[in-house]
This record gives sequence, structure tokens and C-alpha cells, in this order.
Amino acid sequence: MISRSEIKTYTNMSPKFDDIFCSLQSAPKLPKGMIKETKKVIAIARKFNKEVIRPHALALDLKMHENPEFLPWDFVEKANEWGFYTMWIPKIFGGKGYNMPSMSYFVEEIGSACLAMANLIGVHYLGLCSLTSTWHMRLINRLCRDVAAGEKIQTPCLISLAITEPGAGTDVEEMDLADKGNITCHAEKITDGYRINGTKIFISNGHLSTWHIVIAYSDLDKPSENSVVLAVKTGTKGFSFGRKERKMGQKGCPASELIFKDCFVPDDQICLDPQQIQGLKRSKRDTAMQMIDYVLAATRAGVGAFGTGAARGAYEVALKFASETVVAGKLLINHEWAQCMLAEMYKNIAMARLTYAETNYANGLYGSFREMQKKPMYYYYKFMPAKWLEKMFSPMMDKPMMTKLFRKKQMDGQTDDEIHRTSGWGSLAKFSGTDIGIKNCHMALEMMGQAGLRHDRGAEKILRDAKLLQIYEGTNQLNRLNLFKCLIAGDFPQAVVFDE
Amino acid sequence: MIAGTNKELKLLDKASAEFARKELAPNREENDKFPFSPFFTPVLEKAYSLDFFHALLPEKLGGIGHGVTALSVILYNICREDSSLGGIIFTHTAAQEILLAADAGNLIQQITKSDAPVNECLIAFPTFNNPSEIENMAVFKKKDTGYALSGAIDYMVLGGLASHALLPARYDGTNGFSFFLIDLAAQGVSISDPIHSLGLHACPAADIRLENVEGSLVGEERQGAAYFEAMTDRMSVPAAAMSAGIMKGSFSEALEYSRGRFQGGREIINWSEVKMILADMAVKIQNSEMTISRACQAVDNTEKGWQHCSRAAAISIQEAACDLTTWGIQVLGGVGYMKDFGQEKRFRDAKHLQALLGLAPMRKLKFFKNLVKN
Repeated sequence: MISRSEIKTYTNMSPKFDDIFCSLQSAPKLPKGMIKETKKVIAIARKFNKEVIRPHALALDLKMHENPEFLPWDFVEKANEWGFYTMWIPKIFGGKGYNMPSMSYFVEEIGSACLAMANLIGVHYLGLCSLTSTWHMRLINRLCRDVAAGEKIQTPCLISLAITEPGAGTDVEEMDLADKGNITCHAEKITDGYRINGTKIFISNGHLSTWHIVIAYSDLDKPSENSVVLAVKTGTKGFSFGRKERKMGQKGCPASELIFKDCFVPDDQICLDPQQIQGLKRSKRDTAMQMIDYVLAATRAGVGAFGTGAARGAYEVALKFASETVVAGKLLINHEWAQCMLAEMYKNIAMARLTYAETNYANGLYGSFREMQKKPMYYYYKFMPAKWLEKMFSPMMDKPMMTKLFRKKQMDGQTDDEIHRTSGWGSLAKFSGTDIGIKNCHMALEMMGQAGLRHDRGAEKILRDAKLLQIYEGTNQLNRLNLFKCLIAGDFPQAVVFDE
Repeated sequence: MIAGTNKELKLLDKASAEFARKELAPNREENDKFPFSPFFTPVLEKAYSLDFFHALLPEKLGGIGHGVTALSVILYNICREDSSLGGIIFTHTAAQEILLAADAGNLIQQITKSDAPVNECLIAFPTFNNPSEIENMAVFKKKDTGYALSGAIDYMVLGGLASHALLPARYDGTNGFSFFLIDLAAQGVSISDPIHSLGLHACPAADIRLENVEGSLVGEERQGAAYFEAMTDRMSVPAAAMSAGIMKGSFSEALEYSRGRFQGGREIINWSEVKMILADMAVKIQNSEMTISRACQAVDNTEKGWQHCSRAAAISIQEAACDLTTWGIQVLGGVGYMKDFGQEKRFRDAKHLQALLGLAPMRKLKFFKNLVKN
């Protein structure tokens, strides 16, 4: 009926089989242990919601209204106590080594109770993921072990990512725009390190983090080819915190300004710079873009999960209201139109969840989760005692050869198609999940009317919190363009993106 | 556009726009911090002295006797800059309209004294609920000397600010409800702290509790629903105008920002996706203004079916405002989410106003029911 070559030809036609059936291809390859582990993660999140978040979320939000300078250390310490900051750090780096996709389900759960608190946990992994994308094994090991040590001594050690600048938001996330953008954070190469000057803004968890993965540029005329990724520790001379943004929502999670004035960062804290990129198969510019895509393909799935959490939170509040409130003589839940609205909200949640899950499958096949989800690797790390892993691997991580090897395998080993597929899906999950989050919030407030407006009923906070999701990690408009670039434009050589 | 060519309305348009620009815009962020910052009493006093609270009130009751168009013009301009004041004006006027519908103008005269402080002239009212839909009302008992009210009313807008409140109450064991006017300083009234809400922070609401509080019956017993519907028929256009004002404010700020912010070396207004968002916003505003103008005309001339025009305008424009203010933030990106700009407040206020006069889906069903019935 059809030959092997025809199957190949037809499944390579757009939409390509590999682009649209990630779950089908990935599921049989996944270790079964991931299911049990994910169940456990969801249960932990629900318990945490019940015991920690729900009793405090509204009070914290109100406190931040009253005093925007307040920092939620209590909550960060509680999350640290529960082990959330090491939960998704691989065991070879001193963490608990839970499978990466389970983090999305976790933040959906936490996000359904409070997006700000979900962000206080999730953003730490944005910082970690950015560090990991450089494959600088010594620094990855060092910072991860700092986080683990912080857990042991009950002093939280968080990691933030500092990339956005006052004059450049979208421009720093898209190398096609970077060279024309107003990028000003300069990393000047000097003896034994770099001197950074510039400002970063909207840095989630900035004031709360111990380490900051800072993206600066050694040549501001050509940032796309001169990205420098540095690990800067709070307290470093020349580095200070500026203002905390006064946001509409997610008030419990600070968005900070980071100011660098002649801040010296030694060579041993440089995660990646143009010199280190030499020897890789891609150009400096393409490597910088690959690194960004590598991070965002994973973290945007997480933002999609935040959006799903918002959609769920709104749905759950509306459902509770409908089941308790008499409208025009009968319970709202017994009005047909309300039943249809609730069904629509339920459907929205399911769609958003499927989208981020599919993105995680893509990342498992082609992106940042690939290595750790291979069955032998997964079970080896799962059952090997942590102390033994530390003894065996930690000294090895200090060897520059390890960084070279990992970069060769992970960066050169990822094909352009794989980069596009994961990045495109990341964007898809991000803008779908977050648009759905907002949509459900609107529907919930429409159903609840006056009750939905009150802070003490919880619904209005979800809307305020959710709106940020459509903006950070690239606006949803940028993410639509990225999807076009990654999953559509490839078939049309005449298509040009980011250059009207 | 709403003022049309009428000279008096054009003057009102100019005066209210100027007031909003000078008195509201500069302190928008500070005023929005209420109750964590002082209430903007001087601005309220000035607005009161400019007759913004008396647009619909007949001259014989101390008003300026203009129609719904005048009130819509005022609210549109005020909500361009800060809809909290718009919410105060709307609430007070909605209460007046119920009193007028019940032929209880004498009660308005009792409250409105020319030399009294502004808060003593204001009437609190639960503007965000239709008592026929969700029962949020007190219970009344007849006494020899009048009526005594007990029970709780949630989310009484202007509850901690006004001297009097107009509230629904029912006689225990009967259907239907009646409106009563009470003195909020009377014995037996307890008022909560201002309720922290999504938007309209400087249009405070409070929960009130009543225990044997003396109240004046407004109109006839068990006619509350009729008065409420009569008020909604007229006040839906000004409600729409408030949302349209927010839309205009959001668009103006987005347009200005897009001309000064660069992405990829070009002003963002020159990227076609941003241009498309701005175009969508502009189309929605144009349509809303046309709808309001036409609805104002229909209401003030009591054209056949004017009630449908009024209600449809509110439903569609309030929904449009929720969409548009979302885009208004997107154009500004991260800063649009921050309190340094007006966009985040407009987003909150637009959603808040969608709940005016009851649940949006129920108002839609009511509109349809009335349309089919007629």
C-alpha cells in the first residue's frame, strides 16, 4: 500500500509527524517510575497548598498592598524547609532529582492556590535552567550544592535570572532583534574576569536570591555575538538592589531592579562567554540563541502550567460560588448557562494542561529533559545513594574537560530542527496556557459578580496575578512570532521574521 | 462624540474633561492606594460643586435637569482618567434614580443641603447587585411609627463614606422587596472597614449590619424590583460610558507609549502586530462611542425600545472594555503591569465595572427576555 520511503516522505510533509506527535513518540520511552514520582509530587503540592498557601495567600497579598517593600521571607523559608528548592536539582548535584516534567504539574497545583507563591518557587528553576543551559559543569555543581547546603542549614539559597533591561525586553530574548535594540548592560573583559556596568529590571525573586545568572554583553554594538553569562552573588562589590516594582498582582513575588556599577566578576564565575563558545559548531550568535531557546522551551512550558493553575484557581472559586449561591431563586450551579460556562472553563484547563504536557514531551525527546529521562540514567540516579554520587561525580565536575564534553554533546548534539521544535512548543504552551488563564478568570468574575470583586473571596487576585503571565518570558505576541518562526516559517524560505 | 453638537453638552464635555485631566490624572496612583492612603476628599468636593452629581436630578430638586447624555459625557471623561470618582457619581445617581422612580424626591431634598459637607449629601447603594438575582438584603418590620430594619447588606458602595444608604429589604415570609432609606449614623448600624476590591479603590464599599434601624420606605412596599429595573433602564448608558472612558484612556496611553518605546531599533508602533492591536482598540472605541451616542439619543427622547438600546450598550461595551484594557497592558509590556502607568488600574476598573447592576450573564438574559416580551 505504501513504501517505507513514502511513509518517510509523507510524515515529513507539513505538519511534520515529529513536530505534532511528541507525546506518542515519547511516552513509550519514558521510565515508568516517573508516573509514581509525579503522583507524589502532586500530592506534596496539594498538601503544601492546604497547610501553607491557602491559609496565607490572601493575607500576604493584602500585606503587599499595604507595604510594597515587604519581602516574603517566611514563605521562602517554608518552601526551603519543604525541600522545594532542591526538588528538581539532579542527584549528582546534591538535589532530590525529581523528574523535570513533574515540576509543571507541581506549579500548576501551587499556581491554582497562589501564583505569586508558585513563582517564588518556579523562578528559582528559571535561574537554574539558565545556568544549566551554559553546560558549565563546575559552576552548575557549585551553585546547586550551595542551594542544597542552604536547605540543610535552613538558609534559603535561591537563584534568579537577570536578563531584561530598562530599554530592552523582547530584544534580549531574540537575537534577530538584539543588535538593533537598546541593550546597555556591558561586561568588559579585564584581567582575571569581567567588569559589569548596567541595570537589569523586573527580575523575579531578585531581592530574595543568593545567586543571579546575569546576561551581559561584551560588545554593545553587537550583543548577539557577545553574550556573557555570569554568576553573581548577592553582596558582591559593585552589585546592589534598586527598587522593587509595584505590580498589579503576584505581589508576593518581588520583581527587582539589579544595579551593576563596576562590578567585578572573576573568571571562575563566568558561565559562558564568546571565548568559551569557540570550538562549538554553531556561530556565537546561533549559540546564544540556542541557549535562550533551550531555557525558554522548558520554562515557557512552566509558565503555561502557571496559566493552567490560574485557570484552575478561577474555575474552582467560581464552582464553589455557583454551588453555594442562589441566583434568581435557584442555585447558580443549576442554571444551564452556568453549567455551560463551568464546562467551558473545565475544557480550557484540560486544553492548557495538554499543551504544556506536550511541550514537556518535546523537551524529553529533543531538549533539556532528554538525558535525565533515558531509562538507564533515570534509574541509575534514582537508586544510587546521593553520598556515593557526590563522592564519585563532584570532583569530576571541576574538570574543564567535563564542561567541554557536555557542551559538545548537548549543544552540538542538538539539531536545528530539535531547537525549533522545542522552542516552538514552548511558545505554544506559554501563550495558550496564559491566555486560557486570563479567559477563565474573566469567566469566573462574570459568574460571581459583586462577590468576585472582593479581595476576601479570592477571585479578583487570580485575575491580577494571571495577567503577568501574558507578559513575562516574552509577551504572548513575541511567543506567537516565535511559534511562527519555529514551526511554520521553516517550510517557506521566503518568510522573514522580526524584520518587517 | 457623545456630546454631539449640543452647545450645553459641549461645554459640559469640556469642563468635565478638563477637571479629569487636572484633578484626577496627576494623583491617580496615590488616590488608588486608598484605604492605605488618605481619601481624595478635596477632589470629591470639587466634583460635587461642579454639579457632576446632579446631572439627572430635576431642577426643582436642586439638580441641573439634564438627561442621560449629560451624565454619560461626565462619566466618560472622568473615567478616562480615574473611574473611582466615576463610581461614586454613578452610585449616588443610581440611588437618586430609584428615589425618583419611586416618586420619593422629597427624600432627596431632605439629604441634599447646600451647605453640608459632601459626604453628608451622598447616598450609599449596593450598585453591584440586583436584589432580584442574588438576595443581599435586610428584613423589615412594621412599627407604629414606621419601619425597623435588621440584617446584613454586603458590599454597600460608599458605605463608609455617605451619610445615608438606600437599601433593599423584604418583609419576612413574603416575596418581593422594598427600598428603604436609612441614616448610616443611626443607632443599630455597624459598618465594616472599606472592603479591598479589584478596582475602584477610591470608591469604597463596606459591609453593613443593621439591628432594628429606623428606615423610610421608598415608594410602595414590594415595588423594589420595578424601581430597580427602571433605574437600570436609564443608568445602563452611563454605565457603558464609564467603560468607554476607560477604553479611551487605555488607548491614549498605549498609543503614546508605542510612539516612544523602541524594539529592534524601531518605535514599536511601526511593528505591524502592535499596530494591529492599536487598530483593534481604536475600532472598539469608535463603535462604543457610536453606540453610546445613539443610546443616549434613544433614552433622552424615550424612543420606542430605548430600554433595549440602553441595556445592550452596557453589556457589549463593558465586555469590550475588558478585552481592550488587556491589550492596553500588552502594548506597554512589563511596565503596563506596574503602577507607574495607568494601564493596570484601567484593566482592573474595567472588569470591576462589568459587574455594575448585577451579574453580566443575568443582565444579558434579562435583556433578551425584555426584547422578546416586547
